[in-house]
Amino acid sequence: MFTPPESSPRSPSDQSPESAPEIPSGFHALTDVSGFAAANGPWFEKIENGRAIRGFRPGPQHANALGIVHGGMLAAFLDSAMGTAVWHALGRRAVTLRLSLDYLGPGRLGDWLQAEGEVIGHDEHVAQVRGRLYGRRHEVLAGLGAFALLSRARTFETRS
Amino acid sequence: MLPKDRPDNPQDDPPEGFLRIDFDRGRPDPTFNSHVGALYAKRGEKGTRDEFVLGFRVQSHMCNPAGGLHGGMMMTVADLLGTMGAGALAGIAKFLPTVNMTFDFVAPAKIGDWVEGRPELVRATRSLLFTNIYLTVGEQKILRASAIAKIPSGDGLAFARARLDRGAGGRDAEIAAERPPA
Repeated sequence: MFTPPESSPRSPSDQSPESAPEIPSGFHALTDVSGFAAANGPWFEKIENGRAIRGFRPGPQHANALGIVHGGMLAAFLDSAMGTAVWHALGRRAVTLRLSLDYLGPGRLGDWLQAEGEVIGHDEHVAQVRGRLYGRRHEVLAGLGAFALLSRARTFETRS
Repeated sequence: MLPKDRPDNPQDDPPEGFLRIDFDRGRPDPTFNSHVGALYAKRGEKGTRDEFVLGFRVQSHMCNPAGGLHGGMMMTVADLLGTMGAGALAGIAKFLPTVNMTFDFVAPAKIGDWVEGRPELVRATRSLLFTNIYLTVGEQKILRASAIAKIPSGDGLAFARARLDRGAGGRDAEIAAERPPA
């Protein structure tokens, strides 16, 4: 099951834009990324009990016209976490066939956001994945997706 | 050097009628729509398939490691079509937060492709906009999406409006109000 987000309140100093963006312990930056993921990173990952949790700290380049994180960025990030969940659960690379997203709350610039996926079913060709993207105190995005499993012979990364 | 500035990227070379969207209007920090772009818009005759069209040339900074258009970029453009695009069709100039989006990734696109996206307004209630969206490369559909956006009550939330960039001396018009000359 999903790990609940930390619920401890943040001190006011945490929200100061001057404070250095810290990376929570256990997370490492994803390297070997290119294109869209590189242009919109850095993205981070932590493996906990065999499951991947991804995180990033949104900056001004991730904002929409309202000054909160763009829905497309949130979608891209959760999609990446859900695809990674397939890799860790089944050892198969996957591409997204279908994704449905409910926007539950805003993602705020400067907040550390995390995303993770859980494989809830699969056959030889398709995996069903549930995903969530959340901040320290609230849920941001809920996802349900179908991922096409690539042949085991194909080893290249198709999505990061 | 930003990936989008790499010399090996194709020129955007938008088809006739497309104008670059200026999302940030001179503000120093580009927001996400500028950062992932450039994005272009075309306004056609009311009630036609081309009443509101977004377009972009696939560049390397929009791609996945396999060299195809990244799903995140497709979803970003679809999200814009479900909010800004649907708002333009419905004549609503407020910021419309997304409630739900569902995407079917029908086909890939590759670097150099010109991608277009069109919203179809399914229904507008007082508080919600239901929209169907297709992204296409030529005649090929690459993404099918459906979107629900919320229409805030009253004047809604203050936000930075995008404009179509007509270049120096050109008329500056908000996207929701922009129409081709009659």
